[in-house]
Amino acid sequence: MSGTGERGSATTKTPADFLKSIRGRPVVVKLNSGVDYRGILACLDGYMNIAMEQTEEYVNGQLKNKYGDAFIRGNNVLYISTSKRTLADGA
Amino acid sequence: MANNPSQLLPSELIDRCIGSKIWVIMKGDKELVGTLRGFDVYVNMVLEDVTEYEITSEGRRITKLDQILLNGNNIAIIPSEEATSFGSFQITDFPERLLIADLRPSLF
Amino acid sequence: MGSTEEESAVKEPLDLIRLSLDERIYVKLRHDRELRGKLHAYDQHLNMILGDVEETITTVEIDDETYEEIVRTTKRMVPFLFVRGDGVILVSPPLRTA
Repeated sequence: MSGTGERGSATTKTPADFLKSIRGRPVVVKLNSGVDYRGILACLDGYMNIAMEQTEEYVNGQLKNKYGDAFIRGNNVLYISTSKRTLADGA
Repeated sequence: MANNPSQLLPSELIDRCIGSKIWVIMKGDKELVGTLRGFDVYVNMVLEDVTEYEITSEGRRITKLDQILLNGNNIAIIPSEEATSFGSFQITDFPERLLIADLRPSLF
Repeated sequence: MGSTEEESAVKEPLDLIRLSLDERIYVKLRHDRELRGKLHAYDQHLNMILGDVEETITTVEIDDETYEEIVRTTKRMVPFLFVRGDGVILVSPPLRTA
């Protein structure tokens, strides 16, 4: 590993870039508690507060609730993901 | 000049990892491995091709994710690149590998 | 369906809360507590004043002999409630139907 390689802006994506790119897209939001929320990302702010539409709440991979709109307080957020998640079971 | 290792800032260390695979150990029983795309002053990180390892009440769970924004708030340790790749194999080659969380006394 | 543009004018997440003022909302709190009540006021921390609140508390106990999980929910009504924002996980406004 050289460690001196130039990094062009094409290869970097800051959190701000990421947030701009995911508005209106289906996302998975995982909370620190392990609960997942899947839905359409309406908007978010600098605290990672999130507004979502067509939100589904999953606990241990099981659908527990549905909300038309949902506000999620940012301090609970572990990550925001763009992908449909694929689960490989461990156990 | 930041070439003197003693003057290397933590953020510069992470900046050097952009484009490479990194291993993140979170507070709680969670770890992630993925390619670092960028980060900010809070060390929120954009990671790509992510494998998430977690220990739940129903056992270990492994999740693959395309691209995520990881909240920097619960990051505990980012091991060095040497720790992430042992010679010819990568840490992600081991779905059954030992998690740091396995080393803790646990109820399960 | 008559949902209009201004109805869905949510520019920042807190707009969702603003649009729920004087409506009944659902609030999910830490430690398995849920609230349903009318939103009278809120601030940027998600401190809230709710009226006619139904609080639901869910507890899980393990049976000493069978080790079975016993899930219990208890409910109570509170006329007025101040909710401190740091306990809030999720807020859901009522379904806005046309």
